[in-house]
Amino acid sequence: MGNKGVMYYIKHDYLLYFMLIVPVVYLLAFKYAPLYGIQIAFKDYNIFQGIHASPWNHFETFNEIFSSRQFFQAVRNTLVLNGLDLIVGFPAPIILAILLNELVWTRYKKVSQTILYLPHFLSWVIIGGIVAQLFSPTGMLNSLIVDLGGHGLPFLTDKYAWVGTYILVGIWQNAGWGTILYLAAMTGIDNQLYEAAEADGAGRFRKIWHITLPGIRPTIVILMILQLGNIMAINFDRPFNIQNNLVMDYGDVISTYVYRVGIQSADFSLGTAIGLFQSVICLIFLLSSNYISRKLGDDGIW
Amino acid sequence: MKVGASRWISMALATLMIVSTLAACSSNGANKSSDTEPASSTPGNTASDSAPKEHRTLTVEVFDRGKPGQPDLNNNYWTKYINDNFGKQYNATVKFVTVPRSQEVEKLNVLMASSDAPDIVFTYDAGTVYKFSQQGGLTDLGPVLEQHGTDLVNYLGEEILKYGKIDGKQYAIPGKRTVLAGFNTFIRKDWLDKLSLPVPTTAEQFYDTMVAFKEKNPGNVTGVIPFGYSLNSATPGLGDLIEAFKPSNLTEQQFATLQPNSVRTPPWTMPGYDKAVQFMNKMFNEGLISPNFTTDKDGKQLDADISNGKVGAFSTNWDGPYRTAPGNYTNLKTNVPGAELIPINPWQNDAGKHPKQGYSPNGMFILVPTFSKNADLAVQYLNWMVDPKNTLFLQNGEEGVDFNMVNGVPVQTGTTTSGDKMMTVANNLDYDILSNGIELGDPQKNAAAISAGYPGFEKEVEEALKVAMTDYYAPYYFSIPNSAEAKYHGQLTSLSAQMLAKLIFAKPAEFDGLYKTLVEQYMEQGGKAVEDEFIKNYETQNGQ
Repeated sequence: MGNKGVMYYIKHDYLLYFMLIVPVVYLLAFKYAPLYGIQIAFKDYNIFQGIHASPWNHFETFNEIFSSRQFFQAVRNTLVLNGLDLIVGFPAPIILAILLNELVWTRYKKVSQTILYLPHFLSWVIIGGIVAQLFSPTGMLNSLIVDLGGHGLPFLTDKYAWVGTYILVGIWQNAGWGTILYLAAMTGIDNQLYEAAEADGAGRFRKIWHITLPGIRPTIVILMILQLGNIMAINFDRPFNIQNNLVMDYGDVISTYVYRVGIQSADFSLGTAIGLFQSVICLIFLLSSNYISRKLGDDGIW
Repeated sequence: MKVGASRWISMALATLMIVSTLAACSSNGANKSSDTEPASSTPGNTASDSAPKEHRTLTVEVFDRGKPGQPDLNNNYWTKYINDNFGKQYNATVKFVTVPRSQEVEKLNVLMASSDAPDIVFTYDAGTVYKFSQQGGLTDLGPVLEQHGTDLVNYLGEEILKYGKIDGKQYAIPGKRTVLAGFNTFIRKDWLDKLSLPVPTTAEQFYDTMVAFKEKNPGNVTGVIPFGYSLNSATPGLGDLIEAFKPSNLTEQQFATLQPNSVRTPPWTMPGYDKAVQFMNKMFNEGLISPNFTTDKDGKQLDADISNGKVGAFSTNWDGPYRTAPGNYTNLKTNVPGAELIPINPWQNDAGKHPKQGYSPNGMFILVPTFSKNADLAVQYLNWMVDPKNTLFLQNGEEGVDFNMVNGVPVQTGTTTSGDKMMTVANNLDYDILSNGIELGDPQKNAAAISAGYPGFEKEVEEALKVAMTDYYAPYYFSIPNSAEAKYHGQLTSLSAQMLAKLIFAKPAEFDGLYKTLVEQYMEQGGKAVEDEFIKNYETQNGQ
């Protein structure tokens, strides 16, 4: 393929490029244009003067952040909660996908898949309400336990137990949805491999171990890298709707901290600076996990 | 070839990015210059008051309280009245911009930052007002008031206007608060009667009563909650209970600097506050307090528990149960026939008094952003609102239709509880922003009229107000705003909520140590700075 000009390719695939416009515009408008606002982190942002006219403050914002105990607590909690999510929550959809894949009765498989996807479409506000109703000290579950003669459990009021509740509720919401990619990867595995294994006398577990899992390995690695890259980023809705004042030692994460100081106290410089810090850490994690994975012989994201 | 294409795309991206950045930049600059213009020219172009030439639109903030069945807040009976009267007279359209009541400050910040805020905005949060004023976002209304606000100035007087002055400039017009009462404690009278117990008059008696409620369960309900409590993260506190533990002999400086706003933020260093929290801790550990007080973040569970007759006593706004929303007392009476709630005064201090911190005489702060081109019209609007005729209508509706005058006091006929005329808050305070509470131009009439604003509970409300005003005191007036408080208020409030949760939840044996460490953290994270500045301001103000 020789050196054909740019225009050749545009002409050749103009429909494809045309379709690309929408996502590119989206990225430009919502991911790149806001980068302009990063300078708020380095300025004494005055909401009335606007971003441009506010004076630079010589890293004062960062000084303030790094001397705040609450900030480090939020960072630690974010890492702990995301780390646990990675350890406990990451394998869950893989296991679930394997189980689903092994089902032979198609209708049963379809129904259970649909049921597993459903929680993904519930808003965290609603889940937060359900969690409060179910797990609070006089909630449904504790009432049941007490009625059966047991002692109520502090699902939401003890900080350690709260972390467990947080993780399990997250798995409940996301595991089903997470199986989609793995199931798609599994359909790509050559059936002949299974037949050959069967001929060699491999049982069900042998087949899973030697064929299914290696078959979806690239998918697992890529999703792992993506999740590692997000280890400092935590969504806002999940902790915010489940946390309460008793468990803030473990429940206060970066996103809720930013909401509190950045939006509620209108300290936009502080909020932006924390966001920037968070993004930089995420980038470092993403690059290094990608690098490690390539070194180990797998394909990275790029 | 692939490389070439992607390079081309990335170059295009980069160019676009730079262009968009520059565009954003320059448009920002342009905005800036056009923003400052009207503010400076405002006093000039408003010389002709009587003959408004061009038609103008005045935008005004209104609280959206999310009350079920509420009408369109920008198009209903009240907005029509405003537009038919003020609008006609001044050749203007008044448009209302809704702001959710519970996110008042957050939403206002965003509106201000994007220059989308209406011409008239308001907030109860003094720290926000201070911050806006320091950033140059508020119009100095002094000159405008002089020109267009004669009635307004006469109505409010220096006594109230002083609350809106910062650095000698009138950045805010404070509303007038006609009801200064803060909190009340309520108890189930029918439960007391059933157990033949007296009305508790001290904290110890109150405690004994709660124990009796727990043990004897006079309401015969499952999951009895002797003392209902919910911890709200936005305004964490213990209500009027703390007064029983506060020494009566505080010096004026202590009075001023240690409890500037004890209704809304816990006064952690005030002598006796630890005892008050410990009292709650003890009650919680004995199962006398709502077990869900921390997960009940919005107080909805507490409302439900009160309505379902599970709660024996609780401390809330002086008129809390009588309010039509959420209508706890009405619901309680429906659910539990014979239930009776009465306001009581159990928090007796060491001098035998029942002091209660109430509100300062100012209501909310009404502000005009600097980017508003209608500062003159805004003041004219407020000036129009002061007219007793308009105040009466906005707060009560039309005479003979929505209310009848009985002994000089308007009594509601019940037309304003639903539909187009629905008031989302008693006396329509969201539209009549200048007065916080009914205003008939005479304090005595006001007091008599307040109760009329609670159809069905007139007698009870009269009594509740009397109880709430027993030994009332206002927070100390500071002429100098506290910049540390403005800065740390948000963080300290959420920290306070966490501290209260932990301290009430703690094992009694660990309480003292925990209180000490937590308060140390609090002081370190800004509490000290706030307190020091209060002391400094107090000394400056009193010339020491």
